[in-house]
Amino acid sequence: MKTPRKPGGKVANSLVAVSSAAVMAVYSAGYVRTRSAAAQMEGQSEERRRPVVPVAPVAIAPVVPVAELKAEAPQAEAAVAGPTPVPVAKKDEMLVAKARVPESSAVVTPVPEPVEAAPSPVPVPVVEKKPEPAPPPPPPPPAAPVWKDGTYTGWGTSRHGDIQAQVVIEGGRIASATIAQCLTRYSCSVIEKLPPQVAQRQSPEVDYVSGATQSTNAFYYGVVEALNKAK
Amino acid sequence: MRRTEAAMGTLVSIHVVPGEADSAALEAAVDRAFRWFHVIETCCTRFDARSELRQLCAHAGRAVQVSPMLFEAVRFAVLVAEETDGAFDPTVGHRMEERGFNREYHTGQILSAPVSQDAGATFRDVELDPAGHTITLRRALMLDLGAVAKGLAVDTAAKELEPFVNFAIDAGGDLYLGGANEHGMPWSVGVRHPRRDRELIDWLRVSNQAVCTSGDYEKDAPHILDPRNGAAAASVASATVVAPGALLADALATAAFVLGPAEGIRLLERMGVQGLMITPSLERFETEGLCHAA
Repeated sequence: MKTPRKPGGKVANSLVAVSSAAVMAVYSAGYVRTRSAAAQMEGQSEERRRPVVPVAPVAIAPVVPVAELKAEAPQAEAAVAGPTPVPVAKKDEMLVAKARVPESSAVVTPVPEPVEAAPSPVPVPVVEKKPEPAPPPPPPPPAAPVWKDGTYTGWGTSRHGDIQAQVVIEGGRIASATIAQCLTRYSCSVIEKLPPQVAQRQSPEVDYVSGATQSTNAFYYGVVEALNKAK
Repeated sequence: MRRTEAAMGTLVSIHVVPGEADSAALEAAVDRAFRWFHVIETCCTRFDARSELRQLCAHAGRAVQVSPMLFEAVRFAVLVAEETDGAFDPTVGHRMEERGFNREYHTGQILSAPVSQDAGATFRDVELDPAGHTITLRRALMLDLGAVAKGLAVDTAAKELEPFVNFAIDAGGDLYLGGANEHGMPWSVGVRHPRRDRELIDWLRVSNQAVCTSGDYEKDAPHILDPRNGAAAASVASATVVAPGALLADALATAAFVLGPAEGIRLLERMGVQGLMITPSLERFETEGLCHAA
């Protein structure tokens, strides 16, 4: 970072790699370590931080030595000492440098969270449930749920307003879905491609419309509600 | 399963296509995924004086040790700024506040104490030390991580959901589409027409990629400023980027929006990502190989 790069320089092609390395770094560090100052400031860490803060505006302030920062939160080190830093994907040399830094030295991570079964701060917490080779498979959901014939409506809400969806069930299947009422700030025509998908797919799982998240969600929830009534 | 929560000034939806996964494990993963949005928002928001970001900005001139999250967000933002020679610049926060972008969109909360900024401060005044994990702002400035924080949250949430393969995350226009939809097909994503509310201008086929759109129609005023002159960027109506991750896609969509259609597309091609740009007169520019849905 210290060496300025020219646009079009070598880094250009590696932005893709750098971005995914950044995500890995954050992900691997986990919630506890990445917990922001904001949350911590509410607790005891506030007084730990305060000494670091210059009391008066400084003209050209010297760098606060890391050691000094550490010294202010000695118990934090012990608290977070358990998990070892994660070996992160090492494409990017800066990241390697980062990965070597024990996170426990960070001022903002002193208080181990009394978290609700949060994922451990260490690597790849998700994988705890690896798909086993042959788990007793739960009975697969019925391919197409059967609904009671009739016409049903349901409301879906969004920040930009509400949409009422109407679903017609014939022969236990979705014959059609429409937008019955559109009370959103924007016209519902932006999602007009979605209602036919409900019948095509026999499911409320319609496509996404970038830029019309609210309307898409409102319609989806409207259909879900209508289908619930048809059960 | 599908769930929606409010975060980062928008609604975030996570949709996981039913598979063989254990439902408790799935629930837990989705919980964790949402949690990332809240954690990253708390850290990187401009709208809370107590956020780690604002704490950092309040201490210009000092090396401040920060969380991995803030460090990576700022580091990436500065890297994109270098790559685009300042067309993307995270130090644009102050100018945004001057122009009235001081209101948290979701809650309507207005910033009480804007941070002052030295005239002429740019990303070059942000110094990062990877070894010490510190950030030093050489001049007083206000960072705005809007274009990277949401993308970072989407990507981190996507990491949580990776084991389930087929899923979609939608965070107010920042999408990540994992695997395939319920019908085993690549996800199909509509791109909104920048001028007509009622229309889509394109459909894209996407799998294991992020799609982010920067549009001048969002909210109530042009919200993307050209950091090089402080004016609202006006030569593009919307810029959509398809990239391996949302962090990259969102930042590049913002940068391309500022650079304008021709230069924007060149940037995307140089970065090896796909994109579609629409001008206010509805001229289309796109990268070669953009995958349209039928």
